[in-house]
Amino acid sequence: MNRARTPANGKIGRASAPYLLILPSILFAFWIIGYPIYDMANMSVHAVNRFGKTAAFNDFANYQRLFSHQLFIGCLIRTLVWTVFVVGGTVLLSVPIALILNEKFFGRTLARIIIMLPWAVSLTMTGIVWRWSLNGQFGMVNATLREFGLQDTPIEWLATSTTAFPILIAIGILVSIPFTVTVILGGLSSLQADVFEAARIDGATAWQRFRYLTLPLIRPFLNIVLVLNFIYVFNSFPLIWVMTQGDPANSTDILVTWLYKLAFRYGELGIASALSIVMFVILLALTITYAALAMRNERSTA
Amino acid sequence: MYQNKKSRVLGLLAGAAAILATSSMAQAETVRVVLGYYSAATQELFEGMAKDFMEKHPGDEVKIEVIQWDNLQQRLTTDIAGGTEPDIAMIGTRWLVDYVKNDIAEPLDGYMTPEFKGAFIESFLSPSTFDGTMYGLPVAASARAMYYNKDLLAKAGVTEPPTNWDGVVDTAKKIKALGTDAYGFALQGKEIETDAYWYYSLWTHGGDLIKDGKSGVASPEAIEALTLYKSMIDQGLTEPDPSGLNRQDIERLFKQGRIGMILTGPWLRGQIKTDAPTLNYGLSPIPEGTTKATYGVTDTLMVFKSSKNKELAMKFLTETAFSPKWRIEFSTKEGFLPVMKEEAAAPVFADDPQLKAFTDMLPYARFAPPVANWEQMVDAVIAAVQKVYIGQAQPEAALKEAAATIDGLIQQ
Repeated sequence: MNRARTPANGKIGRASAPYLLILPSILFAFWIIGYPIYDMANMSVHAVNRFGKTAAFNDFANYQRLFSHQLFIGCLIRTLVWTVFVVGGTVLLSVPIALILNEKFFGRTLARIIIMLPWAVSLTMTGIVWRWSLNGQFGMVNATLREFGLQDTPIEWLATSTTAFPILIAIGILVSIPFTVTVILGGLSSLQADVFEAARIDGATAWQRFRYLTLPLIRPFLNIVLVLNFIYVFNSFPLIWVMTQGDPANSTDILVTWLYKLAFRYGELGIASALSIVMFVILLALTITYAALAMRNERSTA
Repeated sequence: MYQNKKSRVLGLLAGAAAILATSSMAQAETVRVVLGYYSAATQELFEGMAKDFMEKHPGDEVKIEVIQWDNLQQRLTTDIAGGTEPDIAMIGTRWLVDYVKNDIAEPLDGYMTPEFKGAFIESFLSPSTFDGTMYGLPVAASARAMYYNKDLLAKAGVTEPPTNWDGVVDTAKKIKALGTDAYGFALQGKEIETDAYWYYSLWTHGGDLIKDGKSGVASPEAIEALTLYKSMIDQGLTEPDPSGLNRQDIERLFKQGRIGMILTGPWLRGQIKTDAPTLNYGLSPIPEGTTKATYGVTDTLMVFKSSKNKELAMKFLTETAFSPKWRIEFSTKEGFLPVMKEEAAAPVFADDPQLKAFTDMLPYARFAPPVANWEQMVDAVIAAVQKVYIGQAQPEAALKEAAATIDGLIQQ
């Protein structure tokens, strides 16, 4: 009797049990992720003093002040330029690096380690090292140029945005490469060798094999790399902060460095929280759009 | 049975003892002090004060925590927002106005005797006094002066350091004519106090930061002050591309003997002593334009209104931290100017001729105006001078833009 009843009960339990079991974690995750967003959104529509004490609802005055701020548009454009160039440059460089590292050659392990090593160094550390190297009077870059007779008067690399911003982008690319190469390398090693062998027998050139086999096959990995890098780089604070603090005259400020100044230097927590929400929305919108596009692409090629 | 009773009595006694112990523990108070990092000596100095104080007040405790200046404002802001602020904090005096406005700082007059208040050098008290009420005690004070490289000036044929801006330009030209890798006049162009480096010129040209409730950074004097710096850059009298050099960078150049004249505070003396002991340098007042001026900066110790141990916190300050013994120890080790009269009269300060260059300027010292949103105004000024230094804007246009921003902030 007992035995007969158990399976029946068990069936209902089995269907709902997984959901019941993960329910606490889901609620917990929602709370962990959702509460700060709620708190931030709440702050962004209230008057807030510099010590975080919220007062009355203020009719979106924080957003109004943010959008009419003279620095907002400049920082937004610079953030997009920064993100597109760093992510684009990283992926363009990482694919060939990963392809080379995927080949068998003497010293491959060593080469892989060298590519991965910068990952182990914190961004702040990298920033400090470059800041020193680029120092006009005492830096290694100018000393080297002078040694080779390429320079008479020292150049202050970080003194104007015409040199500082491209340099920041280049270093941004440099520090994003290890992660990107790792993911693409993982994608490459999951490819089946026989497909390529078949293509070679059919007379496909190296370029054709790359263009019509490798690239479509590692596409899911490229998608991951693009989305994740986009989010990281868009929100990347330490490099620019350490190297220029947005100087000179805010010409290397991106949204996140300006956000820090607004919140912690100026005590404008209202505008700062509004800006955080705007940045969150931009990232969310772009990520969802990209994910939707990528999925549709995948479905159409499948 | 008897045994049982005895153990019960013992148990009661033990319980009572435990209760007594906890209640006497509650009477012992703890004062938490958060400080900004000046040098490796800061922690040690205040730990020494805490030890002194705890010996005098057994049972009470003073806890010292030292934090980098860059993070201090952020740390205190988050503490206040979260309700975990300490009892005493060291802050830049210019932040105090925000603390007073938001009812976070405790008025201190009720805790001080007139003698204690009278022991301070008058001019250092005004920046922390609002509407006649004192909200902080000046803990570290500095004024600025001109350091000049005696050897470099002599090589250029200048025997006496210039006393006005025409003299500075003239001397810088002579240093440039030497054709070495030395620069005549150091100009700071980025990061903390880039604005201050321009205020020297602004104030000595007769300008004001705030005049009649409006920004004075676009006044004719201010434009003249900035035009002077810009013309010095264009003539190659400063190091190239000043917007790439912060205060440490130009001080390092001076220590290497590659700068003729530099405007900065007393701390550079200490650095020269350890980093460049052979450097032959002298000190003179900030060059004059139409008037004399220097930048006076003080840092402040303030007590939080929310503190439960305000009495004890103030006792720590009045009895120990601001006792002549610890004041002299602090100012000499950290390289600051004396803020108390007894301290200033001590031989270490009174008999130091170099320090006289700084203390002589104190009557002309200007302080950052006690206005809210100060940091934002500073960044508006820095952006303006940087635009001019890199040639992106003319002095008048850049300063007018900054003045408009500052006027908007004043009205807020």
